[in-house]
Amino acid sequence: MLVIKELQVSFGELIVLKGINLELKKGEILAVVGESGAGKTTLGLSIMGLSPGRCAGQILFKGKDILALSEEERRLIRGKEIAMVFQNVEDALHPLYPVVDQVMEALLIHGLKDKKAAQRKAMDLLKALGLSEERTHFFPHQLSGGEKQRVLLAMALANDPEVLILDEPTASLDAITRAEIIELLKKVIREKMVLLITHDLSVAAKLAHRVAVLYGGRVVESGATQCIFTFPRHPYTRGLLRSYPNMTTVKDLQGIPGPPYKPVDGCPFHPRCTQRVELCFREVPELKSLGDRYLACHRGGIIPLLEIKALSKSFNGVRAVREVELTLYEGETLALVGESGSGKTTLALTIMGLLPPDKGEIWLEGQKVLLRDKGFYQRVQMIFQNPKSSLSHRMNVWELVKEPLDVQGWGSEEEKLERVRKVLEEVELPADDFFLRKYPHELSGGEAQRVAIARALVLNPKLLIADEATSALDASIQAKILKLLLSLQEKRGLAMLFITHDIALARKVSDRLAVMKNGSIVEEGPASEVITNPKHPYTRTLLSLAADLKEEISILPVDAQRPK
Amino acid sequence: MHVDYWQEIREDRLGRIGLYLILLLALLAALAPFLAPYPPEARVGAAFSPPSSRHWLGTNDVGQDIWSGLLYGARTSLVVGCGAGLLAGTISVLVGTSSALVGGFYDSLCMRVVDALLVIPPVLLAILVGAYFKPHLLTLILLLAAFLWPGGARIIRAEALSLKEKKSVAAARTFGAGSLYIMARHIVPDLGPVWLAVMIQDARRAIFMEAGLSFLGVCDPTLHSWGKMMQQALEFTYLEVWKWWLLPPGLALSLTVAALSFLSFALERILNPRLRGEREDAGH
Repeated sequence: MLVIKELQVSFGELIVLKGINLELKKGEILAVVGESGAGKTTLGLSIMGLSPGRCAGQILFKGKDILALSEEERRLIRGKEIAMVFQNVEDALHPLYPVVDQVMEALLIHGLKDKKAAQRKAMDLLKALGLSEERTHFFPHQLSGGEKQRVLLAMALANDPEVLILDEPTASLDAITRAEIIELLKKVIREKMVLLITHDLSVAAKLAHRVAVLYGGRVVESGATQCIFTFPRHPYTRGLLRSYPNMTTVKDLQGIPGPPYKPVDGCPFHPRCTQRVELCFREVPELKSLGDRYLACHRGGIIPLLEIKALSKSFNGVRAVREVELTLYEGETLALVGESGSGKTTLALTIMGLLPPDKGEIWLEGQKVLLRDKGFYQRVQMIFQNPKSSLSHRMNVWELVKEPLDVQGWGSEEEKLERVRKVLEEVELPADDFFLRKYPHELSGGEAQRVAIARALVLNPKLLIADEATSALDASIQAKILKLLLSLQEKRGLAMLFITHDIALARKVSDRLAVMKNGSIVEEGPASEVITNPKHPYTRTLLSLAADLKEEISILPVDAQRPK
Repeated sequence: MHVDYWQEIREDRLGRIGLYLILLLALLAALAPFLAPYPPEARVGAAFSPPSSRHWLGTNDVGQDIWSGLLYGARTSLVVGCGAGLLAGTISVLVGTSSALVGGFYDSLCMRVVDALLVIPPVLLAILVGAYFKPHLLTLILLLAAFLWPGGARIIRAEALSLKEKKSVAAARTFGAGSLYIMARHIVPDLGPVWLAVMIQDARRAIFMEAGLSFLGVCDPTLHSWGKMMQQALEFTYLEVWKWWLLPPGLALSLTVAALSFLSFALERILNPRLRGEREDAGH
């Protein structure tokens, strides 16, 4: 067992790693993921005792603190009991020796005296790792990237170490070679303690049992791989997953706002975090157990912004919304999909307080909504279905976009003008006086849409309810507006309840998907899960009827046909 | 959605006639001190003189100039009409929009009060109240407005109820706007034309009621009014004077009421899209 306790590594003034606590158990693979510069490689090098920085804390291996050992003692462990596969295959091999000699060298250093035996062993090892016999005598430049990776792995495995550190083992490999290497790794690293350093989440997902997310030299979230990747709780983890192109998630790629990590006080992630509070600027959050994972966040991870609890609403005995339970997290899109008449709009209007609920509760940021005052509407805004009708024909663009500010009694006229211009630019509308003086009937559909969005955004809300906000638009304009909303989500952490009947559209914009039928939520889950593995027949129907570019006409499944 | 109401009224034949008549009457009333040859209460000639170049419409039983009396009577009629119409219209808008917006118990209460007031025959009650108070101009306006507002309030409430369902109002609510803001910013501006129609209607009835009350002699006797002129003239119908004493105020009153009716008709046609479609130049 390898235990890292309160490890801190610094280069001069710069602290690269801080307060790292990790455990490696036998037979377990721990992946350390994060952007470059997070300190992943430094962590690996510190365990090897190769880090050029100043290390504090403890790295306990078999009861001994590696950091406290002398260089001589450390060399005995290094390569024999703890081995590392270095990043960048090009530089890690000596160009002037055949690769088999380089693997042999690793064996000779750690005690094997017989050169012949060592060479045979090295050869066997390379062959076991998938290198053909004649290629073992090749020089590194004669080998492909995948083959070099195998050689490096052979060097690390030569002395059958107990701890293996893999630093980006698949970086710069093509998909097929990468798959082979992953397969190989899975085979050879059983029964070892493995620290897998990677920015490739797919490799982590395939190999690692547990994953630790590193940001700014601190672990911000750690836990079982599947758990972390399916339901990330730290905003940074979610950002990593959203920006990672893969075949599992279906939403459009989104980045993490702000520049990469720079040393700051408080929570390392707070400059880029969209749910930061004042505390985050001052104090570093501790890594606390949350049951299924460890998380370092003052707000307890991504906060549930809107919780709908057992909400019901009926009209003249017709139950439009039945016992709906939904949770919308900060900065995510929850798509609410269903045919017309399924109660989606009623739900939205009830949340907004435009319709009184019969039963049930609505919670916003952990507080029950009892009264919808200006404070509520400052945080929650809505874009109406067919937004043109939500614009009063008596007001021009300036008055329209200013109206929410007027109602809220926000700022002076000059401040309002500045804010209005800014938000118009954000929604990519002209902000000149000419445009400000236009009336709704002088606007095109797309422009009116943007004005409606600008009105909803001018108060800087945390939650946006978009009710079929783009259904009246051309696909090309719709695409632009959705891109716009997603980029605002990325920038501001805007949470969106995206109401649509179009599951193909929902797939592109949502993190989670809820399917509504006859007023009830029949299925809910991560968008990718619902799309690829629909559980409810109604979801399957919606999916089979969703827009595609195939020639055949989709037929309604028998079990989903409407009663005649 | 932008309708130029003035333009529409001018294009409507009846509306045009009504508008010009009202403008003419207003001009005559406003310029009464300059146009009238004598002060209306002064005895300036022999009693019952027939029309002549000195007295265009002759004189009455005490030698007052009838033409002057007619001009000053127009002032009263128009002031009462405009005043009561404006006041009643404003009360209608306040009550109508607030009960539409607030709804619930308040709405029921307002509407029951309106119902109660509507079943009272206003002329009868006005006579009763008038007989007690002998109302002067201002009190007369207040009295008439008090009887006139309920009808308008119902119309305005119905209109406000439909305006309130507009998406722009819902949007304003989602910015946190209260009922007062919505009333002032969203409902009342859109009520404009209906308000105008209600006010013209109210004015027409006010003028008619004022004439009626004066005719019955329950108003302040010092008020120069067409109704009073007719009442006084009626006593002397056995003489020739009714031709220039009784007829002119009656005609003037009819013209005023007709002009306002024409305006109402025109406005109704403009406001009601189904009637609008019948116009020859539909599509403009």
